Amino acid sequence: MARKWGMVVDLDRCTGCEACVVACRAENNVPTAGEDQASRGRAIHWIRVERYWEGEFPDARLKFRPVLCQQCDAAPCEPTCPTYASHHTSEGLNAQIYNRCIGTRYCANACPYTVRFFNFYNPVWDKPFHLQLNPDVSVREVGVMEKCTFCVQRIQAAEIQAEADERDLKDGEFNPACVQTCPPRAMVFGDLNDPGSEVARLARSNRATKLLGELGTKPNVTYFDPESWEEGKS
Amino acid sequence: MQRRDFLKVAAITGTAGALDSCGNPEHQLIRFIPEEDLVPGVAEYKPSICTMCPAGCGLMVKVMEGDAEVVRNGQLGLIKMALAKKLEGNPNHPINQGKLCPRGQAGLQVTYHPDRIRHPLKRTGPRGSGQFQEISWDEAIRTLVEQLNALQAAKQSMSFLSRPLKGQHRELAERFLELFGARAGAPIYFDLMDSAALRFANAYSFGAGQLPTYDLANSNYVISFGADFLGTWNSPVAQSVGFGVMRQGRAGRRGKFVQVESRMSLTGASADEWLPAKPGTEGALALGLAHVIMRDKLGRPQHASRAGELISRWGDGLPDFSPPKVEQITGVSAAKIERLAREMASHLPAVVVVGGAPLAATNAVFTALAANALNALLGSIEQPGGVYFTLRLPSWPDTWADIPGGFGSVALLDQLVYPLLQGKWDAAKILLLNDANPVFAMPPNLHVREALEKIPFIASFGSFIDDTSVLADLILPDHSPLESWVDDIPESGSIQGVVSVTPPALRPLHNTRAMPDVLLQLAPQIVGEFADMYRHRLPWASFDAMLAAQYSDLYSMKGSLKAANSEEFWKALRKQGVWSTSEGIPGREKGLATAPISKNPPRARPNFWWRTAQSMWPEDYEAMMAPRVKEFHGPEFDGAEKDFPFHFLPYASQMLFDGSLAHLPWMQETPDPISTAMWGTWVEINPKTATSLGIVQGDLLEVASQHGKIQAPALIYPGIAPDTVAMPVGQGHEHFTRYASGRGANPISILAPVTVPETGSLAWAATRVKITKAGKGKLVLFAGGLREHPLEEGQR
Repeated sequence: MARKWGMVVDLDRCTGCEACVVACRAENNVPTAGEDQASRGRAIHWIRVERYWEGEFPDARLKFRPVLCQQCDAAPCEPTCPTYASHHTSEGLNAQIYNRCIGTRYCANACPYTVRFFNFYNPVWDKPFHLQLNPDVSVREVGVMEKCTFCVQRIQAAEIQAEADERDLKDGEFNPACVQTCPPRAMVFGDLNDPGSEVARLARSNRATKLLGELGTKPNVTYFDPESWEEGKS
Repeated sequence: MQRRDFLKVAAITGTAGALDSCGNPEHQLIRFIPEEDLVPGVAEYKPSICTMCPAGCGLMVKVMEGDAEVVRNGQLGLIKMALAKKLEGNPNHPINQGKLCPRGQAGLQVTYHPDRIRHPLKRTGPRGSGQFQEISWDEAIRTLVEQLNALQAAKQSMSFLSRPLKGQHRELAERFLELFGARAGAPIYFDLMDSAALRFANAYSFGAGQLPTYDLANSNYVISFGADFLGTWNSPVAQSVGFGVMRQGRAGRRGKFVQVESRMSLTGASADEWLPAKPGTEGALALGLAHVIMRDKLGRPQHASRAGELISRWGDGLPDFSPPKVEQITGVSAAKIERLAREMASHLPAVVVVGGAPLAATNAVFTALAANALNALLGSIEQPGGVYFTLRLPSWPDTWADIPGGFGSVALLDQLVYPLLQGKWDAAKILLLNDANPVFAMPPNLHVREALEKIPFIASFGSFIDDTSVLADLILPDHSPLESWVDDIPESGSIQGVVSVTPPALRPLHNTRAMPDVLLQLAPQIVGEFADMYRHRLPWASFDAMLAAQYSDLYSMKGSLKAANSEEFWKALRKQGVWSTSEGIPGREKGLATAPISKNPPRARPNFWWRTAQSMWPEDYEAMMAPRVKEFHGPEFDGAEKDFPFHFLPYASQMLFDGSLAHLPWMQETPDPISTAMWGTWVEINPKTATSLGIVQGDLLEVASQHGKIQAPALIYPGIAPDTVAMPVGQGHEHFTRYASGRGANPISILAPVTVPETGSLAWAATRVKITKAGKGKLVLFAGGLREHPLEEGQR
């Protein structure tokens, strides 16, 4: 059976530290917009940590939720694209083919998770910052949409290596940059079609919820809501 | 001539000749012969150590071949070299276990920063103008040697001011200063948020002036007084790993986490119960909890040895700290205190954490001692799920650990600043500056800048021009950490002792030199009687030789690396990047809590400076400390409540830390986790307070203390007490690269020069302020992709 990549994010572990955000920026050559462009809402973050305030002082509470592309099975972004730049891969990813993209931005309008970003200008790296660019990830130019890929370059590299070694991929053998760095291990990544994988086991848990699942987008990212402490349970 | 050399010459002369005949030579770069063998497109992972904060996490640097523009022998050209592409946590490192925080992830940008100093510089314009001229390394070293030898001949004083150094960097700097004898004074390790009060209290409570390690992974109940331990405090990655396990890593056993603080920190946001207490009263709350636990005979007090000594003075049951009395002091209801105490005591192991703002109040030592004793009452000292101290060999160069609690930031700096301002005969004539920025990170009322301007000669090793190094006369730029030999002996974050040593992951990109190598190069050229006396303590030609010699004794100890002989051990250590103890270390097998009590201060290392430090122990230490364990003295604040109605709380920023990372664009553009603000500063204010003052989000506020005023936009913050306003530290640099200079406001610049009396640390949470509206501000929010982008006027 073909692989189907998925992720579980345990919000009871997530501390909102944003290590995932910076790791993603480093791995995927996400440019910095600068203060002026950022103030126009043009900063690009393939993954972000949303925060929600609840209640009033002294009972104020805060909840964090890392939001990245949910890699939906019924992705609203895909059918809207006139050039098939936004398409579904055989391994369940919502891929973006940059050289097909003509920048209609229909996909960004269609996405309920607002995880697609438009390049309003050609990215600039003040030299020698360009030396840190990851050669395995293409740099996006003005006029195209970009988004989280589940670090498809890492997926490809691991699959090619496993094939060369004539073996199966091991669960947890590689991870996207966000999952790899997460200090409290709030994120788990793997093949949902492998019933023995950790991510498949967790996705079957009764704690599993989907973000805006009621929209019928069938996301492949699963969230575990924060739990509350119960006296006597520890 | 070898073939390789011939090719080098041919490439340079041949291409240069060809270029002369081309139309646009400036568009064509010479290609140098690569200095290393690399396979294109294949990544290698090399160990290194993160230096973005003092925690000492292990790195794996993803290195790939690429083309870099470099200058070689004055000629600009292209070279194929190993380039760092990504930093990952070292999975074999006991501190961070393969994980990294956002600041660690951004470490790459230090190496490739466009405003890094690329070659030695000497000042040409007036001091502080930032005008420098490139010079050669020969000239730079010659200038510094001349200055230092003239100082020796005239028997004048000098000083060494640095960020806190770790491992053999520290040992080397201290041995170098011995060459100047008493004229150099002790090295000054400057750190704004220095935790000195906690080290001081721990020296008394546990005999180790060291930051603690918390075994969160095995704990059932964690109560933290103000410590941002998942964000910026102590060893945040190690603590976050443990926190994840405590929450969901143990089937059917989820621990509870309670955070006590007056402004919700990143850590407080993850708490099961968030409890605001009045600033500076956290210690009283800890004793209130202790009162209930003793009254109801709960907990499992450790009566033996040193831990027992902590609570032995509580034989009367702490009558002054009954819940109703503590409610009056802290503002936390008596019923909550009763409930929390019972919860803690019935869900052992429980652990008490203290850090952050409570340790920056004038009564910080009381608060820390109270938390230590509460841990003893809960039976949590050096027990699973409790508090530990990372093992250390007596011979290791320690960060503070040998000094009783360490000296605080202001007291240390005053050793340099006071003689200068007073024009004393022993005022420093030369300053060696290493990556410390007290001009930015100290209140202006302490006159650090004025004092430094009086020093005739300042040499700086830092890689960037910042608010302090802009005053330098000579700059000898260091390699970046990824280009250097780095070593570290983490102070906390692991129960076992840890030593990290890593070779350079990259060749230097610019014409820089490692600071330790420069010191070793200087040492033989320094003249004078102290130099002759102590030079034999620096016999090494290079820093890696020193590392190999200094860490050779690890081979004979039981640890994580097995090797047949010391050469094999050194090879394995360089490859792994880390070594840790496996069975304790001699003299410390039993741990601290169960060790016999000594009334004497911990033994100092046989080092010139620490002998001096030891002589500063008060003679009757026990008599001085004993009353502090149970007598509550309220915190003191600068500014009268009626004129300055708000407590002012500056806090370490999750991205910019204490301001030392403000030069990295990745850190500037990563939204603050709670406010989602980027590229600026803001003032956090309670929504009801804001409404009553007619303030809305984005209004420009003027925040004024008795000592100065700054302006920043208002940010409505539901998790802050109505009588408190908070600001992140980090922005407001006058000089700190193109990304941080002149950006935002610096909350430190309005702080009162109030100190923690026992340690001389800056009490940065002891200032009161008033706020007034000053127009419309600019707040750049990411706001999580929601439809709340603050469009500029006219755009909507």
